[in-house]
Amino acid sequence: MIIIAILIGCILGAIIGINGPVISYTYSGYLAIAIVAALDSVFGGITSVLKGNFELKVFISGFFGNAVLSILLTWLGVKLNVDIYLAAIVVFVGRMFTNLAIIRRYYIDKWSDMIKKRGGLIKSKKQNETK
Amino acid sequence: MKKIQKLPVIFGSVCFILTIAVFVQIKTVNSITNDEGISLNDNAELKDEVLRWRQNNKDVYKQLEEVEARLEEVRNQAATSSEVDKEVENQIKRNNALLGLTEVKGSGAIIKLDENREEDPENIIDINSYLVHEGDLINIVNELYNAGADAISINGKRIVNTTSILCDGNIIRVNGEIVGVPIEIKAICYPHALYNLRRQGGYLSLMVSGGILVEMESSDNITIPKYDGVYKHDYISSNW
Repeated sequence: MIIIAILIGCILGAIIGINGPVISYTYSGYLAIAIVAALDSVFGGITSVLKGNFELKVFISGFFGNAVLSILLTWLGVKLNVDIYLAAIVVFVGRMFTNLAIIRRYYIDKWSDMIKKRGGLIKSKKQNETK
Repeated sequence: MKKIQKLPVIFGSVCFILTIAVFVQIKTVNSITNDEGISLNDNAELKDEVLRWRQNNKDVYKQLEEVEARLEEVRNQAATSSEVDKEVENQIKRNNALLGLTEVKGSGAIIKLDENREEDPENIIDINSYLVHEGDLINIVNELYNAGADAISINGKRIVNTTSILCDGNIIRVNGEIVGVPIEIKAICYPHALYNLRRQGGYLSLMVSGGILVEMESSDNITIPKYDGVYKHDYISSNW
């Protein structure tokens, strides 16, 4: 159900985004870092749903809060002539990989369980037949 | 039950926002890459270097201006003592004005040149006649000097003895600095010399018939900035 909703959201967003406006180059760096932050929040949300400790307020505030905070940090970095956005990218992408690893393990465990069960069923069926 | 319904909606809308942002960003990056013909990340260092050198250049010019101001002060102090010194000081000032080393004011003419961008390209036979070239500027400067101009500037670049007006691809360089349309030529001269410049068969009327937008006005209050560069004499051997 969640996967279908995500797919629908992505397709609708892509359609609107393709026909959307072009922003000025000055702000494209800020938008890029906000995208990375938001992407991290989404993966974090999916992980917490799988773990069963999902909280709506945390998710929504993280989604918008992280994006805004990373934009502010990037802006500060531009003002100070330090590439602070690199730190934000390292943190967000690092967390993304951790979350992806958790999601991957969850589904691998699920599938291997299913295969085991099925294998057990087939074995028991075969045993039944041979009996 | 309610929570199960909520989750997909939230994730769907969040992904919706995210993909809009991603696609807008991709479109922006693509449009810039197409416009410039280069990728954004290639030339970040070069851009940085250019900015740094420009800052250096500015700093050095500031220093030069300060030193010149001090020189002026010292000269003024030295000139207060005797009549001869005052006369010499006045001569130095006049010579500097003629050489283009000081800002000058007076009555004169302003000529504005622009390219007609609204002309339908299909109606244009010779695109070259619709562009302002370096030769046009040279001819106008010559005509102005013929009409008795004392000082001329093109877009704030003073015309002096060592001035070059060069074609550099799709831009013009005056005194080595970039000049582009709209071009504003200021001249301190007899204000009615404009009538002379407007004459039939004169260069400006040729440019007008070629398709360039030419505007002329006379003014009693024209300021022409000083020459930014430095005069260098490496090979003159007389002892002056």
